[in-house]
Amino acid sequence: MNSSTLRAHAPEAQRLDPMIRLRQARVTYPKPEGGTRTVLHDIDLDVPTGQFVALVGRSGCGKTTLLNMIAALVEPSSGSIEVRGTTAREARPHLGFMLARDALLPWRTAQGNVEYGLELRGIDRATRRQIARDWLGRVHLGGSERLWPWQLSQGMRQRVALARTWALDPDVLLMDEPFAALDARTRIAVQQEFLELWQSGPQRTVVFVTHDLGEAIALADRVVLVGEGRILDDVEVGIERPRDLESVAAHPRYQELYERFRASI
Amino acid sequence: MSQITASEQSTHRGDDVPRDADFSAPRQPRQRARRRTLLVRGAQLGLVVLWLVLWDLTARYQWVTPVLAKSPKQSWDYLVEAVENGELWSNAQATMIAVVIAWVLASAVGVVAGITLGLLPTLERILAPFLDAANAMPRIALAPFFIVAFGIGVQAKVALASTLVFFIVLSASRAGVRSADPEWLRLSAVLGAKKHHLFWKVMLPVATPAIIASLRLGLIYALLGVVGSELIAAQNGLGQLIAKYSSLFRLEAVYAILLLLAVIAVVLNQVMAVVERRLLRWQPPADH
Repeated sequence: MNSSTLRAHAPEAQRLDPMIRLRQARVTYPKPEGGTRTVLHDIDLDVPTGQFVALVGRSGCGKTTLLNMIAALVEPSSGSIEVRGTTAREARPHLGFMLARDALLPWRTAQGNVEYGLELRGIDRATRRQIARDWLGRVHLGGSERLWPWQLSQGMRQRVALARTWALDPDVLLMDEPFAALDARTRIAVQQEFLELWQSGPQRTVVFVTHDLGEAIALADRVVLVGEGRILDDVEVGIERPRDLESVAAHPRYQELYERFRASI
Repeated sequence: MSQITASEQSTHRGDDVPRDADFSAPRQPRQRARRRTLLVRGAQLGLVVLWLVLWDLTARYQWVTPVLAKSPKQSWDYLVEAVENGELWSNAQATMIAVVIAWVLASAVGVVAGITLGLLPTLERILAPFLDAANAMPRIALAPFFIVAFGIGVQAKVALASTLVFFIVLSASRAGVRSADPEWLRLSAVLGAKKHHLFWKVMLPVATPAIIASLRLGLIYALLGVVGSELIAAQNGLGQLIAKYSSLFRLEAVYAILLLLAVIAVVLNQVMAVVERRLLRWQPPADH
């Protein structure tokens, strides 16, 4: 339970200090007919710095609420949540956020959309431009800076969203089914792109919500199964990195985990 | 990072090419589009000629009461005469000044009021029935009231036209500002947007197409309102000319002025269409 204190003497204590810490976090909503509905029951969860954790579960199991709580969009009704050692709201400047739909603003060009988050954080124009161009290049959209969102394909749009998220240089990436709206082929391409970005930079903490079990195992360090507002299972994936999406599915550990979770998804 | 640059070559994804957009449009479709525009203009010209011929025949063979049966030639003669003696220019000017004043004032107030109501749902709920009632009023019935209140100068026309334009712009702005995608707001909140950011960077841009469309419609309604008011009573203006020549049974003059108004309306609408296209470059073309 108290794993962080146990590890306090380890040399990498700094690194293991959890980036996200939930203690007995409960979320309830009032029902329209009176009374309350509990969406999350007393969740305890520690996400160490630099870990890539996938939250899987059926739709309506509370995984998105859990993510929203870390993003400070939902307040816990009781219990506590800490991100980067502070409250979730204070940690917001260090968050990146990605949704199933790309949520690009249609009146901004690809470049303008990547700049959006930087603009909200008050970065000056020249720096913003530079960062945005740089990140568009890294997601292989160099030359598309001036296109409007309607001129881009689904996959390109989601890659602009990737660049927008990454341009903020976040410590924590919160992703809510970010690839669910893409067709199968594009999804693999964008997943690969994402995995390369994540593996190549400084290790950022990722909380990744998905109902796609294969995606969770292939991408994450740790898979947390959520069901009916509780954590039902919590497993380290333990497949070595850097991974390659094409070969990872053949890994015995992948098969094993897939079997283990399949019944509950 | 080196990993990525290394894989750059191999990551050209076939399914990820941009959808067909102007910037890469080959010559063939562009030529076809030009030819189609030519066809449209030609057909429009044909319709005008056909209509002039029908009008002329109607007048020549007296298919309607002789009082009404005035030929295009007679109307044209009036037009030339009115241009020469300055009657047309001074009255058209009076009308257009009132149109512009009414349009600018009512649009400015309408946009502000509409956005305010859009952002304050409770206030909107309180005022909604009153706004509906005010908007349902036949505006021409207010003309005598405005004329008594403001006299037969420019104010009365402006007042009447403004009541039309205001509601058009108000309802469009109100709806527009509310049409923000909740996902944009959710994302913006997490990225650290303050209230003023949300307003200037999300709600206002998302409302712009609706607001511009309503300004375009509002300009035409401003013209209708001003001419309507002038018909009831005014010192000058094209509506006042129509009233005068109707009472003198000089229908050729009435036709000429009505046609002039139609031309003005078409020109205003085209100008607004150009402005709209400029401001809304980010929207996909209608046939996309």
